[in-house]
Amino acid sequence: MKAFLEKIRHSFSYPKGETPSSNSSGFREFTGWAYRKLSSIRTSIYILLGMALFYLLGTVFPQGANIDDYVQAGGRFVFAVRLFNLLDVFSGIPFLFLAFLLFLNIAICTYERFFHLLVQKMPVPRDFTPTATIPLTMDAHVAQGEIWNILRERLNFRLLSKGQEWTVMERGLSYRWLTWLYHAGIVVCFMGFLITYLFAVEDVVTLYPGKPVEITPSSPGRLEGLWRDRHPKPGFSIILDEFITEYVQHPSIDYPRDRVSRLAIALGWRDVTYTINEKSFFPKDWKSRLRILKNGLTVYEKTIEVNDPLVYEGYTFYQMAFEQRLRIGVDNNPILLEVKTGDELIVPGLTTPLRFTNLITGTLYRLDGGTEGITPFVTVKRTVKDEGGGKRTEKLGILELGGSITVDGKKITLADIEEASILSYRYDPGVGILWWTGLFVFLVITIRCFGGWYMLAYRIEESDGIAYLTLSIQTRGLIADRTKMTERLVYYITSSELKPTPLPPSS
Amino acid sequence: MDLLQDIVSRNAFLLTFEVRLFWLVAFIYGTGCFFLLLYIIFRSGHLGKASHAILWTGITLHTGLIILRTFEGGRAPFQTLYESLSWFAWSATITYLFVSRRWKDVYLPGFFVTLISVGACMYALLSRSPDVKPLSPPLQSYWFEWHVTLAFLSYAVFVVSFAVEMSCLILKPFLKRGMAQDFGLSLDGLDEFRGTAVRLVLFGFPLLTFCIFSGAAWANEAWGRYWSWDPKETWSLITWTVFAVYLHSMAIPSMRGLPASLFNILGFICMMMTFLGVNWLAKLLGIPSLHVYAV
Ligand code: HEM
Repeated sequence: MKAFLEKIRHSFSYPKGETPSSNSSGFREFTGWAYRKLSSIRTSIYILLGMALFYLLGTVFPQGANIDDYVQAGGRFVFAVRLFNLLDVFSGIPFLFLAFLLFLNIAICTYERFFHLLVQKMPVPRDFTPTATIPLTMDAHVAQGEIWNILRERLNFRLLSKGQEWTVMERGLSYRWLTWLYHAGIVVCFMGFLITYLFAVEDVVTLYPGKPVEITPSSPGRLEGLWRDRHPKPGFSIILDEFITEYVQHPSIDYPRDRVSRLAIALGWRDVTYTINEKSFFPKDWKSRLRILKNGLTVYEKTIEVNDPLVYEGYTFYQMAFEQRLRIGVDNNPILLEVKTGDELIVPGLTTPLRFTNLITGTLYRLDGGTEGITPFVTVKRTVKDEGGGKRTEKLGILELGGSITVDGKKITLADIEEASILSYRYDPGVGILWWTGLFVFLVITIRCFGGWYMLAYRIEESDGIAYLTLSIQTRGLIADRTKMTERLVYYITSSELKPTPLPPSS
Repeated sequence: MDLLQDIVSRNAFLLTFEVRLFWLVAFIYGTGCFFLLLYIIFRSGHLGKASHAILWTGITLHTGLIILRTFEGGRAPFQTLYESLSWFAWSATITYLFVSRRWKDVYLPGFFVTLISVGACMYALLSRSPDVKPLSPPLQSYWFEWHVTLAFLSYAVFVVSFAVEMSCLILKPFLKRGMAQDFGLSLDGLDEFRGTAVRLVLFGFPLLTFCIFSGAAWANEAWGRYWSWDPKETWSLITWTVFAVYLHSMAIPSMRGLPASLFNILGFICMMMTFLGVNWLAKLLGIPSLHVYAV
């Protein structure tokens, strides 16, 4: 094992100053140099800072935006945006290259450290700076045995090395191994990211009640996409039986926006009030009753909601959004106009288009504990010019299903409604690895940072007939406490009749 | 209908009371901060001690306020930015008060912590709505409480770590010249005191790790994507990376001094960006952003 590891290591790296003999020395020198650089913690600092810079660019520039939209929205630095593909930083070569370097860096560091920990064994230091000296009233020889017993049996220390001068002991999980373990975990996480990056497939499907849709993602995963552009066909359909919306009653708050009025509330000159109106509907849940069909037969069914997706054959379906369509009648015209909520509708005979806000329908959970079916309604608005030449939104009224309102002499009727559920779905084989390794990394980091590790070196010397115990304690981890450990040791020494200390310990 | 009106007026009454209590808490923190400023000017330990007593009063009332809010909303009290700011101020102040119990006559970091807490309270009171909103569907997840509680715990320790680091950076040049001895620290003891900043980051780092991990798991459950590179997520990754850089730099002797201190401060700035300023930088540079946040 040791020879094997040595061989792998040597094939990559030449220690500084050593020159290879063959003609391919240039390349080997380069790999040796690169390996040395990539096994350095300093390099990891630079790479991590570089990554942070890319992340920063990703937060500043709208990722995934179209360059034309970006320019139209008044975006700046257009030249740099085009040159460095700043609207898609995280798929760009520079970022991926740096991520690859980080992967190499952490993989090499992990390997090197493993090599040191397992094969070469971390050398135990020989020299220590004393942290406490404790006088003992007993023969040094007897004290040796007693202290050894206390440390081993009472304080659970284990022997690391016994030199001529110092005896070195350790307690707690080795922080070096813990540090190594979670770094190794991060390497495995990288594999998970890579699997996601190469194989994940995702798309969106809009479902109308009773109409099955065959699942065919519009593009394959990145790796598959290299040799084929056909859609993967998992071979099943999905059908929406019912889309359910639920609301809770939440009164609208009357709270001033200006700071002086807010101060007035603080001083008791005004109160906060609530009123119940058409805005008092707060979404409680959106649910989709779904069935998976294979060859026309139902093979799986589930009602999903946000945070509770449906998983079938590696594909996960999530409740993402919904779409609402309204059929609007104008006067007594039998032809109905169709519009999606949120969109504008041009009504013949009206100078300004009308806008219909979210359709509220489903069940209402009232504040007083009762529930009621909501008569579906929308709020009708339009944008008008005010005297100053600016624009403002004018609320025209509430339109209930089957009901009507009159706008500029035109009778607007809400004749019919239809709701569709929008699901996003995804196939991602990287998630499982990431989930378990992420949990592992988190647990080990926690143990490493919070746990307590001690390395205790001691020696017992005699001077003027008095035996002295000299201690040197090093700690790692938040719960490790050198002072407390010294106090516990003193307690065990003094609590035994054999070893009273006539003098207090001096630090 | 009468019952409904009763409930609505009771809620309005409770909210009015709660808003006033929050103003009082902000005022008390402000007084504590003012005493710490006086302490910096006059260097009297009594002023420092008094400021701590004031802050303990504030934190007691603030704890009551948070409990009240929890009962009022029937859920964890950090859904809206108003609530998160209150929770942030509370957790930073209480962490400082606990950590500082180990120090003898050192009050300077308290000034930075209380300044940040007062700022958070005033931002909530002057710019956000105190409405007690029900939980929207995406927030109805068992990840919500864990994710946010631990995120804020990590933020709180990073605030205190920042305050310790700032105090050390400010005091060091004075102590070197034999001045500023009356801030409770000596040049010899400064390194050990700075060790508190590292320990705090070591405490906060696993929490932030969990926060990112649980956020990803939650996003995976709610939207089917564990990572979308949206600004909030990305800023938390920046913060995590910068604190990892800080911890690594503490392992390199030549970086352990000023560079490490600067990384710690940078980590704090990134943390504040994660919390508050997600789109601020884009706005500053006049870059349109596609992302909108509810809180
Ligand atoms: C995402 C990447 C990384 C993260 C999140 C990370 C995290 C950490 C943390 C939190 C510590 C301090 C706690 C401890 O000592 O266990 C640490 C220490 C350490 N890291 Fe990393 N690390 C990363 C990458 C790397 C890389 C690429 C290297 C390779 C050189 C590396 C080498 C080390 C070493 C050697 C230590 C121990 C320092 C000591 O003994 O005091 N880390 N890392």
